[in-house]
Amino acid sequence: MAYPFTDEHEMIRMAARGFLQDWYDGGAGPERIYQSGKAYDSRAWAGFAGELGMAAIAIDEAYGGASLGDLGRVIVMEELGASLCSLPFLTTCGIVADLIDGIGTDEIKQDVLPKIAAGEMRAAYLDGHDAKDKRVYNTVYADCVDTIFLSRRAGDAIEVVSIPTEANGLIITPEKTMDPTRSFCAVDWSGVAPLDMTVIGKTTQIQLNEIVMRSFISLAAECVGGAQKCLDMTLEYAAQRVQFDRPIASFQAIKHRCADMFICIEAARSAVYAAALAAPDDKTEAALIAKAYAVDAYFKITGDAIQLHGGIGFTWEYPLHFFFKRARANRSMFGSAPRDYDRLATLIFEDVA
Amino acid sequence: MSQTSNLRAEFSAWMHANFCGEYECLRGRATPGDEDAFPGLRLKWEREMGAAGWIGVGWPKAYGGRDASLEDLVSFNEEYARHGGPGRAGHIGETLLAPTIIAYGTEAQKQKYLPGIKAGTEFWCQGYSEPNAGSDLSNIKTKARLENGRWIINGQKIWTSLAMDSDYIFVVARAEDGSVGRCGLVFLLVKLDQVGIDIRPIKQMSGTAEFNEVFFEGAMCDEADIIGGIGDGWKIAMALLGFERGASTLGQQMIFADEFRQIASLAKRNGMMQDPMIRQRIAKAYAGLKIMRFTALRTLEASQGGELSKEGYMSKIFWASWHRDLGELAMDVMGASAEILDDGEYNKLQKLFLFSRSDTIYGGTNQIQRNIIAERALGMPKEPRGGGIVIKG
Ligand SMILES: Cc1cc2nc3c(=O)[nH]c(=O)nc-3n(C[C@H](O)[C@H](O)[C@H](O)COP(=O)(O)OP(=O)(O)OC[C@H]3O[C@@H](n4cnc5c(N)ncnc54)[C@H](O)[C@@H]3O)c2cc1C
Repeated sequence: MAYPFTDEHEMIRMAARGFLQDWYDGGAGPERIYQSGKAYDSRAWAGFAGELGMAAIAIDEAYGGASLGDLGRVIVMEELGASLCSLPFLTTCGIVADLIDGIGTDEIKQDVLPKIAAGEMRAAYLDGHDAKDKRVYNTVYADCVDTIFLSRRAGDAIEVVSIPTEANGLIITPEKTMDPTRSFCAVDWSGVAPLDMTVIGKTTQIQLNEIVMRSFISLAAECVGGAQKCLDMTLEYAAQRVQFDRPIASFQAIKHRCADMFICIEAARSAVYAAALAAPDDKTEAALIAKAYAVDAYFKITGDAIQLHGGIGFTWEYPLHFFFKRARANRSMFGSAPRDYDRLATLIFEDVA
Repeated sequence: MSQTSNLRAEFSAWMHANFCGEYECLRGRATPGDEDAFPGLRLKWEREMGAAGWIGVGWPKAYGGRDASLEDLVSFNEEYARHGGPGRAGHIGETLLAPTIIAYGTEAQKQKYLPGIKAGTEFWCQGYSEPNAGSDLSNIKTKARLENGRWIINGQKIWTSLAMDSDYIFVVARAEDGSVGRCGLVFLLVKLDQVGIDIRPIKQMSGTAEFNEVFFEGAMCDEADIIGGIGDGWKIAMALLGFERGASTLGQQMIFADEFRQIASLAKRNGMMQDPMIRQRIAKAYAGLKIMRFTALRTLEASQGGELSKEGYMSKIFWASWHRDLGELAMDVMGASAEILDDGEYNKLQKLFLFSRSDTIYGGTNQIQRNIIAERALGMPKEPRGGGIVIKG
């Protein structure tokens, strides 16, 4: 096992990988999800989050979790990324768990966190601050969860409320997306009665940003996991594909492209691990770097992988296109990499004389 | 990494008390390619470091070192950079040759060569590259033969950094007639000040002349001045390069961080920070710095556990490319004034821009680094030699 992981981490990784690679099944898993027309697999959630205990990974021990923090989440997200198995882990065990932990009352923590840890609650997060007519597009996982956590303006403050997805008047419309393996929905809560909303707590825009940005690290880890899988597939293919009487892996143009893919992935990996370990004061900056670097890396690697596979890389049958589409979708999750870098530039210029 | 020993505090206090006064003008002069500034004072500074026992802190106690742990070495290098200590004139001797002598040399060699390095009074340069042995280093043609208890050396080295300021050169030469490639080589320790050696500086695109041609015509050294035996030259030469990586990388990164801050601060003052493209590049350069640091920690942690981790292979190409890009960014941040020479001299950023073009060449070019990554980290097939291509002319 390699720094910064311990033997315990490594055991968790192996358990997650075993489950998810069986699910992935050489690309059959993502294809099955595509065929089902529902970008979510409830059986996989039950097995992975519940039976295998992965939902508990970053939840505090006091609430039935494993207290493994961001590093624990990184492990899970890398493996989810490598398999493309789309489960609402990022929102349930990431943003929502952090929101409740950060701003919820003791009573709410005691009610919700153990359910999340046990894999019994699935949650999506909705930023409704600037929503016109109480309607938002592109909410990830809204149709595969039981509770939606909505943040909205309340005077100068931000208020977070939860809405059960079966609430009357809540309209969740799945969108058809280029990446068919992860759900995005339009959510309209204009018809939901105030009684169906439970106030979780109040916060400031700054604190909310900090909480949400912690999950940038998880998104970045998903990118690293997916990118590594694409490089592995490319190396395997290049070793066995023969042209001009030699394996294409022996061509320097191929070797150098693979070397660049390796550099790019390892750099992204460093950014992600550094962010997972960062002290609270450095978290936001480190999370920005990890996300911006990793989403760029993932997209580049998936494109390279298709190129190095030749014609077969362009087929639907070969699963590379699913990774390519996921990488593309990640470029617009939580805002774009150029926007992240611009925010980072602002932080840098505040800091220098 | 935890900090348990007090070496950091001790060294920091020493730097604070001693790196001042006449040495003030050396502060922050750590950019490669800047070695020509105040050469005499730099040598004096080396002696100052040596006299206080700050050269060779990582060596075993038996040879005057402090047997410092990896963590302490990292702290030492970070403190040096933090205090703005100048580029180390003696680093080839201290961090490359000395560990090689300690690992592979005889007791007599240790007694003869380590004290001068430790005192900061004797300087070394690296005689590997030849006109026809660059990336293809094993194609060495310089010859060495034993005669009456001495090695007689004939041939030529090139691109030898700092040879003009050095006392000794370590030379990889061919000792067995008719041998090719990695076989038949020797690793010799040779005094530069002798009639059989001629050093000719080569002017670089940076305007200065840190590197040189070194000609050997019947140059001599003692029969005992060989590390390893006849035929071990390649092994020793590669082992020496292995010492190049390690604790000093974190110190180097602090120098990079300093250069970066200078560029960001200039962008803030001259308004370039408003330019969206410059903002993107500044942010990416900063991200690169953080990534370098964490990658180095991953590698160092693995090496402490006795493992060679794969990501270690990316360090050279990553920092070299990053530094080259930083040089380009520096010029774009300077804008039109990038073209202007104040007092007819290159300023620090112009030097950075010009000299960083060599970062992706020396110590294994970027292309060679990619070959190494592909073959060693990714297990891809090795490059063929020759390959049946007819050489014209
Ligand atoms: C500033 C500076 C300081 C130096 N200091 C020293 C020193 O102190 N001591 C010392 O011994 N040497 C020193 N060198 C030499 C340096 O190590 C060599 O320049 C370097 O190894 C490249 O060799 P070359 O110049 O012969 O280029 P070549 O090997 O001829 O390379 C020319 C081009 O071909 C490419 N190329 C070569 N082989 C391959 C391959 N197999 N696959 C793909 N591309 C390939 C290279 O990447 C390069 O782009 C220094 C060089 C510089 C620039």
